[in-house]
Amino acid sequence: MSERPPLGEAMREALPVYEASPSLQAWAREEARKLDFESLPPREAPIRSMRSRVWRFSQWPIAAGLLVAAAAGWGAGLLRPGARITSSTNATTSELVDAHVRSLLPGHLLDIESSDRHTVKPWFAGKTDIAPVVVDLADKGFPLLGGRLDYVDGHTAAALAYGRRGHTINLFVWRTVPGEPGAGSFAVRGYSLLHWSSNGLSSWAVSDAALSELEAFRDAYVH
Amino acid sequence: MRLVSRAGKPVEVGGAEGLEGGRFERLLLPHLSAGFTLAMYLTGNTADAEDAVQEAILRAVRYFPTLRDDDARGWFLTIVRRVCFTAYRTDRPQGSSMISIDAVGPQLVDNREQPDLAAERLQVQQRVRAAVDQLPPLLREAIVLRELQSCSYAEVAAVTEVPIGTVMSRLSRARARLAVLLHDVVDFGEVV
Repeated sequence: MSERPPLGEAMREALPVYEASPSLQAWAREEARKLDFESLPPREAPIRSMRSRVWRFSQWPIAAGLLVAAAAGWGAGLLRPGARITSSTNATTSELVDAHVRSLLPGHLLDIESSDRHTVKPWFAGKTDIAPVVVDLADKGFPLLGGRLDYVDGHTAAALAYGRRGHTINLFVWRTVPGEPGAGSFAVRGYSLLHWSSNGLSSWAVSDAALSELEAFRDAYVH
Repeated sequence: MRLVSRAGKPVEVGGAEGLEGGRFERLLLPHLSAGFTLAMYLTGNTADAEDAVQEAILRAVRYFPTLRDDDARGWFLTIVRRVCFTAYRTDRPQGSSMISIDAVGPQLVDNREQPDLAAERLQVQQRVRAAVDQLPPLLREAIVLRELQSCSYAEVAAVTEVPIGTVMSRLSRARARLAVLLHDVVDFGEVV
């Protein structure tokens, strides 16, 4: 007890220092690599696409069908005089369906492919001020496929993609703005939409799955 | 200096030295554990600390072009600290989420020591941890950066984004508080 150590020595002896986990280090190295691609146009950067997982040959007929349906919808909306969308809710839902269809084009669904919420959530953190709740709902029948940034109806949106028995559900999340439609369900051009808001974030689930599926998805996601 | 160094050497990106990615690895990655340690002391738990470091890396990547070569550690620690204080609200009054340092502290007792001496050292270590644990966050981070991470006064000032005079004052307040609790086992020089 006679030799008391100075404070620095006592602290260094008593207090732990920590080492970043190998997975965190590996992840950081991965992020560093992206710096080398940033000068390239965004779409030409070698981002991982979902092509291999989502686009099997058996699904091409579905894709073709979606494209025809989308084209028909656009054509009808654009060419028919007087058929312009007037209500802002209709505009929003229509744009959401467009964004959903667009996301199903090969290579468009995901910018970040992962079923690991710890990978997907921080990916958003660096790119947008929206921090959506990211949960993998595989145990409830909605596996998380990954996420991407989207631009819908004037909003920068975080988009999360979930699978559902061969269907894809897109969940668009953006900051709630005044005058948005309240919670509710919508059917547009054969697609189902479900809308809810919480914590200042507006959430829209869009899919060609039945509305009841979207409601099950919402209940699983919200809890 | 007891900073933990990274286990492996930085891996160059496909021999692309000179590219920004390689520069990032060379400059920033060696300080990952220093950032993580700071985050542990600020957030008080591994999950938040990992999240904070992840967020800090994302920001670091984004602002990387603004980094000069000579100040990577301080620059990265500054980002980590900002993330901790904004996202994890570690500046709340009392450390309710404070780290339970006891659970993770190193066992630095030499087995060859006499049992009573070993027990005494262990007890001192626990008291030091408890005392640091009780410090208000701003004092705690100053003393941790200075004494544990061996930062200079100027580095502490840069990381905590306050003038050097404020750093001196925080350090002396931290030392005074610790002295009250630990003066019988730690030498505080003339501070007491």
